[in-house]
Amino acid sequence: MKLTLLVDVVGAGLMTGGIYALVALGLNLQYGLMRVLNVAHGEFLMVGAYLTYSLHTAWGVNPLLTLLVTGPAAFGAGLVLHRLLYARLVAASDSREALESRSLLLSFGLLFVLQNAALLLWSADLKGYSYLSTPFRVLGTVFPANRVVAACVALGLSVGFYLVLQRSLMGKAVRALMQEPEGAQLVGIDVNRLHGLCFGIGIAMSAVTGSLVSMLFELTPFIGLPYTVTALVVVILGGLGNVMGSLLGGLLLGLVETASVYLVASDVRIIASYAVLSLILILKPSGLFGR
Amino acid sequence: MIPQVVTPYYRSLALAILADVTLTVAWAFFSGPTRYLSLATGAFFGAGAYVTAVAGKGLAWPLPVVAAAVVGAVMALVVGALALRLRGPYFAVFTFGLAELTKHTLIWYETSVTGTVGRLILAPPAPLVLYYTVLVLTVLAVATSVLLRRSRWGYALVAIGADEERAATLSIDTTRVKVGAFALSAAFMAAVGAAMAPRWTYLDPQVFNPLVSFQAVIMALVGGASTVVGPIVGAVFLGLASEILLLRFRYVYMLALGLTLIVVVLALPSGLVGLAQRPPQAARGRPSGRPPEAAS
Repeated sequence: MKLTLLVDVVGAGLMTGGIYALVALGLNLQYGLMRVLNVAHGEFLMVGAYLTYSLHTAWGVNPLLTLLVTGPAAFGAGLVLHRLLYARLVAASDSREALESRSLLLSFGLLFVLQNAALLLWSADLKGYSYLSTPFRVLGTVFPANRVVAACVALGLSVGFYLVLQRSLMGKAVRALMQEPEGAQLVGIDVNRLHGLCFGIGIAMSAVTGSLVSMLFELTPFIGLPYTVTALVVVILGGLGNVMGSLLGGLLLGLVETASVYLVASDVRIIASYAVLSLILILKPSGLFGR
Repeated sequence: MIPQVVTPYYRSLALAILADVTLTVAWAFFSGPTRYLSLATGAFFGAGAYVTAVAGKGLAWPLPVVAAAVVGAVMALVVGALALRLRGPYFAVFTFGLAELTKHTLIWYETSVTGTVGRLILAPPAPLVLYYTVLVLTVLAVATSVLLRRSRWGYALVAIGADEERAATLSIDTTRVKVGAFALSAAFMAAVGAAMAPRWTYLDPQVFNPLVSFQAVIMALVGGASTVVGPIVGAVFLGLASEILLLRFRYVYMLALGLTLIVVVLALPSGLVGLAQRPPQAARGRPSGRPPEAAS
């Protein structure tokens, strides 16, 4: 009985955490590289979720296959947004500080635009569909199969991205740019191109997470901001610009939240994540794994 | 300005715009010169509204507003002492998170401890009384803004916005200057919240609305946050737009607000007022010097 509960909490926590890790990784990629804090990050998750919902309900496309649509579409949108908005902002800002606060405002503008466009397109009603909700038994506890699949895909993509970052030449350039922006430019790394690329990848990660989330929960146009907050908590927990930190931080936050829901009550969850965010900001702004 | 002769609709429109002007001017006290982007306006506004809801029964009219100002200032002193060590987006995120944390804690407290979702405001003051209360607050806020800019305190705030470390080296007590200005602006925000609360008769934690925080920022930036007139121009302009559009075309209005913010950040770093003041030949290209715009 005790063991079952433990497996239950840890399993559910890791599944939630896998989802968190992927959104957070996307956000961290944007911040770590460009010093752009994109608070509209969760809105791309919301749009990805609605795209999957629409594709699945209108044409019966398998939700997992829609990842092949939402990912590239969001990547393209990210490239365009970078070119239209952020590249200009980087060029026009004379200090890193000015860039940080102006890009923050910019992304709040994006948040309003995306959320209200979604409200106009899909209305504020709850939307959802059922996919793979068959039971899946592990060690005496039961999880819905869709959660297991979603978590595996999310974790697979996160770990895969981490490996690409560690092994490939592009990954090396990205890491160089995160550690030493000016030095990286000196050795001939095309900053502007990498910024655009990573902004696109970051947004694609968010949208793909959205496709996965749409298999699990009902959607409203308001689901984006809570995910942004969660991603922020994870990124700040793991350290801004620290990719491995985001992965571990995501899993950790998933575990903590699931445990607090089991032990206390479900409405404490959102209070807990804001409280963790405030505390970490005050006590250790460089993150748990920061130097 | 002569509320007796106009219809209740225009009086309530004027009231809403005066409240917007006061909030935006108060936001600009602190965030205008220092470039610290505060997203806590909604938290102070909401706290002020709750002061009226909780203590309004026992106090004669202007007293809840005064009490709210004190509560807002004390809140800001505590928050400011903690948060003003944070720079750039950390500060903005912290203030935003704080407002949401207050809201969700209050929701949790009201449902699980007091067993209610909202509070009724019984025996609200007459609409004219409310109107004059807010008008007085607006006048006070604008006067404070003018006086502050000419004072040593105001110069110290501008110095912090330009280069905080240099300001500290020039023996400015940056913490005191910042926290003081933050508290002053919070006092006005809470007072406006307290004065506007009776309009709703029924109050729930949704009054801690992040939209209030964003509107203050956008209004100030649209007008030009580093001037006295800028926040007023921005608040009247967008306040009118919001009152006319928000109820009928809510989503379109919010979408337009987002687009406005994007355009202002990209194209108008010193706001409408800055556009008017810029010499004509410089209006097309980028200004050569560093414009003294705020929170940009």
